[in-house]
Amino acid sequence: MSRLRGTLMNPGARVFLVAWVIFALISVRTTFAGETTAPAQTKSSKAGAKGEIGLWTVPPRPTPVSRKDLPAAFSKPAPTSVADLKSIEQRVKDLIPKISPAVVAVEIGHGSGSGVIITSDGLVLTAGHVCGAPDREVLFRFSDGSQARGKSLGRDEDTDTGLLLITNRGPWPHAELGDLELAGTGDWVLALGHPGGYDSTRSLVVRLGRIIRVGADALQTDCTISPGDSGGPLFDMQGRVIGIHTAIRSSLTENFHVPITEFYDGWDTLVRTGAKTEPTFAPRAFLGATFVDAVTGCRIATVDSGSPAAKSGLKAGDVVLRVDGRELSAVLFRRFIAESEPGETLKFDVKRGQRELSLTVKLDSAPRLK
Amino acid sequence: MNIWRSIFLLAVLPMLAPAQDSDPTRPLPRNQFRNGEAVLRAFAPLSKATRDSIIKLNVDGETVALGVVVDTNGLALTKASELKKGKLTCWLASEKEVPVEKLAADDEEDLALVRVHATGLKPIRWSDERVTIGQWAITPGIAATPHAIGVISAMPRKIRGRQAFIGVRFEPTGSTRIDGLLPGMGAEKAGIKSGDIIIGIENEVVTNREQVATRVRDLRDGQKVKLRVQRGEEQFDADVQLMVPDPDEPRFGFFRQSLGRLGTDVSHRAEGFEQALEHDTVLPPWLCGGPLVNLDGKAMGLNIARASRVTTYALPSTLVQRILEALKAKAAGAPVSSI
Repeated sequence: MSRLRGTLMNPGARVFLVAWVIFALISVRTTFAGETTAPAQTKSSKAGAKGEIGLWTVPPRPTPVSRKDLPAAFSKPAPTSVADLKSIEQRVKDLIPKISPAVVAVEIGHGSGSGVIITSDGLVLTAGHVCGAPDREVLFRFSDGSQARGKSLGRDEDTDTGLLLITNRGPWPHAELGDLELAGTGDWVLALGHPGGYDSTRSLVVRLGRIIRVGADALQTDCTISPGDSGGPLFDMQGRVIGIHTAIRSSLTENFHVPITEFYDGWDTLVRTGAKTEPTFAPRAFLGATFVDAVTGCRIATVDSGSPAAKSGLKAGDVVLRVDGRELSAVLFRRFIAESEPGETLKFDVKRGQRELSLTVKLDSAPRLK
Repeated sequence: MNIWRSIFLLAVLPMLAPAQDSDPTRPLPRNQFRNGEAVLRAFAPLSKATRDSIIKLNVDGETVALGVVVDTNGLALTKASELKKGKLTCWLASEKEVPVEKLAADDEEDLALVRVHATGLKPIRWSDERVTIGQWAITPGIAATPHAIGVISAMPRKIRGRQAFIGVRFEPTGSTRIDGLLPGMGAEKAGIKSGDIIIGIENEVVTNREQVATRVRDLRDGQKVKLRVQRGEEQFDADVQLMVPDPDEPRFGFFRQSLGRLGTDVSHRAEGFEQALEHDTVLPPWLCGGPLVNLDGKAMGLNIARASRVTTYALPSTLVQRILEALKAKAAGAPVSSI
């Protein structure tokens, strides 16, 4: 087994790092009728405000863990008996329920990918090309169908590392971080993620493979991965995250993962946008409607059933002329709601057909996860 | 003394290290890849236990599928849509090539019942145990080692037929205002234009995108849907035919389907199954139709389709056995019970 400790890839390897960016694994969500995309109920975050990420700590760089507890089959160049296969299978079957809860599908803008939660307060590792620019709204989807909201913290385009934060209150199931000190070619690994994007009829998708190449800045396996897997975790047989899915090439054995060590070396870049101040995680005001610009003010596009908007009598198609006496465009309206407090009462003057109505809306806090 | 030893070691170690790891970027030898010969060899006992229950089907001499033997009289099941017209034969583990006759087919689940004119075949043993994510999923053939191996990737579920679309894109606000049309699709053919707003479907009012998606989702390719459309002050009805877009159409995000197939051939018929196990075995379409076995050498299912770079589907054993009974009855000319 060849081992690597902080060795740089040779120049040839550098070239393929660039080449496979074109196959970046992000899956584009479409908005065609018939597609199963849920419309993102977008509520702007308190735009641009810094220092609201809250106080969180990055997990310490893990110390290498002895592999003595791994069955003998894992240290062979290849399994040699059905007994070896049984012990590999047993290990894999035991690991999956432990590592799966921390794996999420992430939806950002029109893209979707995967991610893995690494702290109980909701830090999520993903690929840089999934994360995109800081401060974007993110919807996290868990395998059990539940959801959480959050934002992108930062990314590094060179390494394709990205960091997200769940802003709903935790604690969240999280995965243990690994190291590559003792990793080598031939190690059995598990790739988890949501190929093709989140599918409510399907569970998380698990793939087993071996490490084909490992270096300080590249990790290749024969775990087949596909668009939508981007940002998902690669686990070692001790159930620790050792890589993040980043790219593929046309061969089925050319599946690439960002080595976890790239994250340890780059936390500062990834969290540059987030000042480490007091924790906020303040509940945010929630209206439960989407809106678009109209000739005057803005028009309600959709109303969530059971939401504060629905309870107040607001209906899709209503044109909002004034909120608390102020005329607002859709953008300003979103910001206005985002900056309001849960429990606050707002007076809406709306036009419905030819009639003008005055409605009172009591804002709620954003729906909590079950 | 100790100090000197330390310095000595420090000086020597860098010279020793390259000797151990001559080329740290050297990849794993191919035969040790998950699907490499060295790994497949460990599965040989499973192949030995099942190879007399498997056939390799040829049409005009070209391999099209595997098949699974289901009784001692030469009855076997395979993937129906791969049996093109032509002379049907099969290879056996004994290396004999024998004639095969097609008896009956179930188009819904894409299974065909065939008769193999040979003796000495053993029926496969079916497993009725629940499958677990992560367990080995082995695809043996008639050779001494399996064709490929993988693991169960996702729990069994219904696989929808290929999604049909009306061919519109809505503005990203969640409203039903159209901001793009997919060329050649039903909406464009029905005269719908960018900027139109869909206000009703089949006489029901719709106000958001999700309502449209919900109504359209269960319709199939070729069906028509009546849309009420608002264009400026004017309202009109449009009958729009649902269509399945070309999966290679690069516009509007459909390219993900072709990227999802990167590096792999997929089965022509790869969707629309009542139940399927999903596994990550890399299997060419012409090696579907055979059994997917566990470490006990029992069939968990029948490989029914290669669907994407990461996905192969198998019909679960219980479903296969149910359809087998119906196909036997059909072949015997008896009325077919509902399946």
